Amino acid sequence: MINIVLVSHGELGAALIQAAEMIAGHSDGVYSVPLLPGESPEAYGEKLSVALEPIEGDGILILIDLFGGTPYNVAAREALKERVECVTGANLPMLLEVLMSRDETPLSDLAAAATVAGQESVRNLGEMLAGRG
Amino acid sequence: MPRRGAGCIEGSGCLKKEVVDIDELGLVRIDDRLIHGQVITVWSRHKKFTRILILDDDVAADPFMLEVLGLAAPPGIKVEALSIVDGVKDLVSGRNDLGTTMVLLKSPLAARQAYDAGLKYSALNVGGIGSKPGRKNIFKNISVSSDEIAILKYLLDQGVKITLLTVPGEKSRDFADLAAKL
Repeated sequence: MINIVLVSHGELGAALIQAAEMIAGHSDGVYSVPLLPGESPEAYGEKLSVALEPIEGDGILILIDLFGGTPYNVAAREALKERVECVTGANLPMLLEVLMSRDETPLSDLAAAATVAGQESVRNLGEMLAGRG
Repeated sequence: MPRRGAGCIEGSGCLKKEVVDIDELGLVRIDDRLIHGQVITVWSRHKKFTRILILDDDVAADPFMLEVLGLAAPPGIKVEALSIVDGVKDLVSGRNDLGTTMVLLKSPLAARQAYDAGLKYSALNVGGIGSKPGRKNIFKNISVSSDEIAILKYLLDQGVKITLLTVPGEKSRDFADLAAKL
């Protein structure tokens, strides 16, 4: 099984996991590593290493909340490792997509699918509905 | 452009002194997270920065980290990293527009090293120094060791205005007001 690790500012990652469970039920192999207010990048880096180290399975997909934020800066180095992929802009549709398809999808394809799902879920509803009513 | 011999009376001879007084710098900021959420989302909109210059010996020697930081920079902002010594040379050379440059330093020590190397900034923003053993929290997400307090007091004594501020619009604190109690 591919493991999913959310890295986020505060408890956003944990909240996304909770929200995903409301929809898709409980899943194993999903983790959140929050950057806490006042935490230094070094301390966060150590925390992330400690969290990733014991994770076994067919690889790790790291979902990063903000492209350019501290969790991104710290997690980016993990992207160089074998069997680790990182995708930024974590959102609920992205998390649901990877939870649903991780059993039958290789890691690199799963990262690509996460990127597409995250992007395609962002819609300007007003524009889509323009001309109605 | 850096002003040379600022405050001198013309013809008094003091213009010969290689004092480089840089108060035109857009922002000199201590932030151990360097470029991160607050910088890319808030600061970059607040001021028209076109360049972020990281003065850090480690990042200057780490092309991968520089690439990671640069990838996420907002459009129109060039990200560079130089060692403290080279960065100060670059900044005082007057080659680049200082008003649109954000200078990022990781620690009070780096800020002092840059100052002593000739980057005589008049204002310093302390935006974030994470907690770790040996540091105590003095304001919001800013924690400092006793050595770092001494360094900030040194800069204060040089006439640098030190403001503790994470992002514009948030509550700020003048380090001078805190210094007596530290």
